[in-house]
Amino acid sequence: MQANKRFTQLLHYIVVLLLALVFFLPFAYTLYTSFVTMQDVNKLAGMPHWTIDNYKLFFTNDAYNVPKWFLNTVIMTGLVIIGSLIINPMAGFALAKLEFAGKRLIFWIVVATMMVPYQMILIPVYVNMAQIGWLNTFAALTVPFLYQCLYIFMMRQFFISVPNEFIEAARLDGLTKMGSFWRIVYPLAKSPLITMSILAFAGTWNSYLIPSTLANNPDQYVLVVGLNSVKDMFFENTPLIMAGVVLSTLPILIFFFLFQKQYVEGISSSGIKG
Amino acid sequence: MAAYENRNAMIDHSRSNRPSWLRSLADSDVAVGWLFTLPFLVLWVWWFLYPFAQSFLRSFQDVSFTALNDATFIGLQNYIQILNDPEFYQAVLHSLQLVVIAVPVQTLLGLLMAVLVNQKMKGQGIFRTVFFIPYITSQIAVTTVFMMLFKKGTFVTKFFTLFGFEDVTWFADTRYALLFVSILFIFQQCGFSMIVYLSGLQEIPRDLYEAGQMDGASKWAQFRYITLPSLKPVTFFVVSVATLLGFQIYDQIAAISRYGALGSPAGATSTVVTYFYQHGIRYMNIGYGSAAVVLFFFIIMFITFLQKKWLGDKE
Repeated sequence: MQANKRFTQLLHYIVVLLLALVFFLPFAYTLYTSFVTMQDVNKLAGMPHWTIDNYKLFFTNDAYNVPKWFLNTVIMTGLVIIGSLIINPMAGFALAKLEFAGKRLIFWIVVATMMVPYQMILIPVYVNMAQIGWLNTFAALTVPFLYQCLYIFMMRQFFISVPNEFIEAARLDGLTKMGSFWRIVYPLAKSPLITMSILAFAGTWNSYLIPSTLANNPDQYVLVVGLNSVKDMFFENTPLIMAGVVLSTLPILIFFFLFQKQYVEGISSSGIKG
Repeated sequence: MAAYENRNAMIDHSRSNRPSWLRSLADSDVAVGWLFTLPFLVLWVWWFLYPFAQSFLRSFQDVSFTALNDATFIGLQNYIQILNDPEFYQAVLHSLQLVVIAVPVQTLLGLLMAVLVNQKMKGQGIFRTVFFIPYITSQIAVTTVFMMLFKKGTFVTKFFTLFGFEDVTWFADTRYALLFVSILFIFQQCGFSMIVYLSGLQEIPRDLYEAGQMDGASKWAQFRYITLPSLKPVTFFVVSVATLLGFQIYDQIAAISRYGALGSPAGATSTVVTYFYQHGIRYMNIGYGSAAVVLFFFIIMFITFLQKKWLGDKE
């Protein structure tokens, strides 16, 4: 019995380690390859052969403008997060704590929209943006994405859990319903707001379909779109491309490690417990 | 809480001399309710409802991006043309193949990983992180890395020859390209499934297992008769999310197509999504592309309906 238990434990470890190896390998390969020369790709080269030239080249090549792409991505992601932090909690609060005609309809809209894939409206969005001259502008990449029905739903779920007494007490002290939202309830929502920002950050930073369609001028590329075009242009230069992968992925990884706990909680609570 | 305790400090400030009608407006459920949902509603009507309606409307039109004002109503012509296009059926077949391969594998893998890292052991947190990180990296970045790994002659393709695969560049080979896309999807999606399964596992009451142990149930029997049934709603969620995302796969295919038509090599990875993108946006055939989108929409609705019927909780 004891030996049997030992054996299962050992087996458990072996399986986890093997799986982890499979999942870790692409990352190790990427990091390693980004530091070697083209001759050393898919070979093990010692430390003395390592170089940071790939990173330098990725940033300074004349064929494209990585700093600009980086800036574009930061602006796009920043604007989307700021908008999300205002529009979604406001709507979520109204749906959770206020009684008004039309509320049920609006809630139904939120839930129904969540289920429609964005691709469903991509062609008309593209056409409408072309008509009003928004293609290749930040407006195209941000304005339609300032709200997300999933986040409104998440915020509503949170605000429902806030006791009504908080709002009532605030009103007794002279605040209006609107005032009690901004001064009392909104600060209470710190944790779901952080979760939402993280999800919005990852979703926006990593998005490809939308920016590659609405901003297809190389000057307006965001990092992910730019990375894809560098990959196509310099397909044989594996180390250069790997340096690009590392650089475009690093910000999201840093963000993840800073907020790991909220991230994981947000993922598991955004779906099933809602 | 801190904000609540601070409320006394704010009284004076909030009682500044605003006109009383403004004050009562700011305290009315109706006014604040509509004001607070207004930004959302405006953006929604402008950038969701309007284009959503256009997708349907355009699908009955013969209209090109270069001549938007020359749209003519042609009834069901676009649909008839699509349903007579063998490439469309090929695309539907590929979408289904992708989902049928990738969804069960990623679900099982997610469950396996969740069970493995749910048990106390050294490095538990590290393993969780390693399994989860692919999910938060961009699809383009992951696809790029895997393209380098699955080139002819690398240690990865050589390793797969052990299982009867040929040593070729996977994404450029019509036989392997779709499998390559499935692998990419599985690699990224199972971390999400793991997290959802983990939270499901932690909600199973401890005493269920204790009762099982008292009855002398083996570990396997406990898993089979306690864990699995308790995870049924979680499984439904994981499967439906993965199925929806599986039908929407685009980034990976765009990345491997490089300069070729979407769905390269030779249409081996064309899906319903690349089909409408190719026609609607690349060829600028708005009407035809919209009709394909509407069909895509109904396919997804139909699958969701089937899942609800087969897998959903029968209450």
